[in-house]
Amino acid sequence: MLKKILFNNQVKSQLIIAIIGSFLGFTFLITSIHYLIRVNEFGEGEEILGSNSIIIQKKVSTYNSMNIAKTDFGDNEIDNLRSQPFVENVEPILSNSFGVSFQTDSDLVPYFRTDVFVQSVNSDFLKFDTDKWKWQEGDDFVPIVLPREFVVMLNTFASAKGLPQISDELAKSISFKFKLYNDDQSEFQKAKIIGFTSEVSAILVPSSFMNYGNTKFPTEVPAKITQLMVSVKEGNFGTFEKLMEDRSLESKESSMIVGKLKSVAGTLFGIVMGISIIAVFLASLVLIQYAQLMMTKNAYEIKTLLRIGYSPTSIIRAIINYFIKVFAVITALSATSFILLKLLIDGLMIKGGIMISSSFTVLSFSSVFIAFVIYTFINYLNAKKEILRAR
Amino acid sequence: MTIFFQNVMPYPLASLQHRSDSIWGNTFELEQGQKVLLNASSGKGKTTFTHTLSGIRNDYSGSLRYDEQSLASITPEEWAIYRRDKISFVFQDLQLFPELTVKENLLLKNGLTDTYTEENFKEFLTILGIPEKWEAPCKLLSMGQQQRVAIIRALAQPFDWMILDEPFSHLDKVNTALCLDLINKRCDELGAGFILTTLGDYHDFSYDKELKL
Repeated sequence: MLKKILFNNQVKSQLIIAIIGSFLGFTFLITSIHYLIRVNEFGEGEEILGSNSIIIQKKVSTYNSMNIAKTDFGDNEIDNLRSQPFVENVEPILSNSFGVSFQTDSDLVPYFRTDVFVQSVNSDFLKFDTDKWKWQEGDDFVPIVLPREFVVMLNTFASAKGLPQISDELAKSISFKFKLYNDDQSEFQKAKIIGFTSEVSAILVPSSFMNYGNTKFPTEVPAKITQLMVSVKEGNFGTFEKLMEDRSLESKESSMIVGKLKSVAGTLFGIVMGISIIAVFLASLVLIQYAQLMMTKNAYEIKTLLRIGYSPTSIIRAIINYFIKVFAVITALSATSFILLKLLIDGLMIKGGIMISSSFTVLSFSSVFIAFVIYTFINYLNAKKEILRAR
Repeated sequence: MTIFFQNVMPYPLASLQHRSDSIWGNTFELEQGQKVLLNASSGKGKTTFTHTLSGIRNDYSGSLRYDEQSLASITPEEWAIYRRDKISFVFQDLQLFPELTVKENLLLKNGLTDTYTEENFKEFLTILGIPEKWEAPCKLLSMGQQQRVAIIRALAQPFDWMILDEPFSHLDKVNTALCLDLINKRCDELGAGFILTTLGDYHDFSYDKELKL
C-alpha cells in the first residue's frame, strides 16, 4: 500500500532515462574494469628481466643502411658505458651466427617449424632461478625463454587452423626442438620453455648453448654484438635516457608488441572506465533527483502517513527498498549484458592470439556493489532529511 | 495518560489578549477518560491547540506533557508510537488519501495495529450510513462522507486520547449524533477520553470538561 501511495502517481520517464543511463554505465564499468585487470595480468609475473634492466641498440639510420655507420657495439663502447656512474652493469647480448630453426616435437600439437633468431643474456640479469638456466652438451633439453609475441603468433596460427589455443602452461609442457646447422652439417637439440618475456624479441638460450652452436656450426657471418643488456642504478633512468639520446641509442623495450598491446588496450579500457564512471555518476544523480522529486510531490502523503502513526523508518525503508529493486533490475541487466559482451570480446582476443583468463573478476562486480552502496547511502540520507522535515 | 498544560502559549498568539480562563497561559491537566469540549469561534486557535497536542507544532512557550514526557523532547520515532498506540486524531482537513478507496484508507491505518476486521469496518460504515462507499475512492466522496471515514479511521487503533478538530462541520444533526455515539462507546471501551473542538455547538452531549480559548 505504501508503494501505491508513494510511487503510483509518478512520471516514469525520468526513472526510465535514469535506468537506461545506469544500465549502460554499469555494463561498461564492469566490462572495462574486467578487461583492465585481465589485460594488465596478461604476461604478468612471467617477466625474466629485472625492473631496472633494459635492452639498448643503436638507432638505425640511412647511414647504417649505406654501411657508413655501424649498428654493432665495439669493446671500447661497451667499456665506456660500463664506466658511467649511473650504470650498474652492461653485458652484450650474444646472437647466433649459426643457422637455427625451431619446431614442435610433440604429438599433442600440430607440426610447426620456423627459422628463428636466438640470443643469450647473462644470467645476472634474469629474475628466475638460474639453476634452471644451465645447459651443457649431452643434456636432455635446452631451457629456453620464449618471446610472448611468439605465443601470440602460435595461437594466431592455431586459430587460423581451427585448433585449440595454447596457454602458457600448455606451452611449457610441449616439447620443441632446435635444428642447428651450417652448410656442412646439422643437429637436433630438444628444447623446453621455462618462461616467457615481453622484453626480448628473440628466443633466449643459455650462453653455453650459444657458444656451443657458434663453435660447432661456424658460418662466415661474424657474431656481432648489436644489442646490450644494461642495468641502470635505481632512479637514474632519466640520466641514462639522456645518454642514449646523445649517443643515438634506443631502448628495445619500446618496440615490444605485447607491451604496446597492453598499453593501448589498457588506455582504451581506462578511457571506457572513465566514461562509465561519469555515466554511472550522472545516472545516479538523475535517480537521486527522481527520488527527491518523488518525495516533494508526495509531501502530503508522507506527512499524512506520519500523522496516522507510520514511523519515519518504515517510510524511509519503503523508499529505499523501491530503489534497491530498481538497482537490482539494472544490475541484473548489466551483468547479463556483460556476460554476453565478454563472450564476444574473449572470442575476438582468442582470434587475435591473446589468451587471457576467461574467469570473472571480483573487482568488476564489486564496482557495481560499491556504486550501489554509495547511491543507497546518499538516497537514505536524502530520504531521512525529507521525511524528518515533514511533521 | 494525563495531559499537563503549564503556561503554554503559542508564539503566534502571544501578542493577543486572552481571557482569564483561556487555556493559553494557564496551568491545568486533562485526565484520561475525560470527555472534553473546546468551544471557540473561528481564528481563536483551536487548530493550533490540536496541532500542538499532536506534535505537529512546537512553536510555543511553557510546558506541555503526556504524563512525565515533555512533548518537546519526543523524537519523530517516538511520535510514531504515540500516534499509533496512545493518541488518535481526526484532523480538520481530514488527512485522507484521496487516490485510495475508503477500504484502502481504513486498512492502511488498521495495518499498524490490526485493530479491526474488514467486517467491522463495513459495520461502522453501515452505522454511519455510507455502506456503499467501501470501494469508492475518497476523492469522490462528499466532505460529510469523508468526515465519517476519517472518524472510523481514528477509531481503528488503541488510544488513551482521541483529538477531534471540528469533526462534524459537514454533518447534519443525525449523523453527528451517530458519530459522537460511536466515538463515545469506543472511548468507554478503551477507558480513553476525547477532546472535541467545535464552533459553538455542543452536539447534545454531556461533557466532563469544557475548555475556553
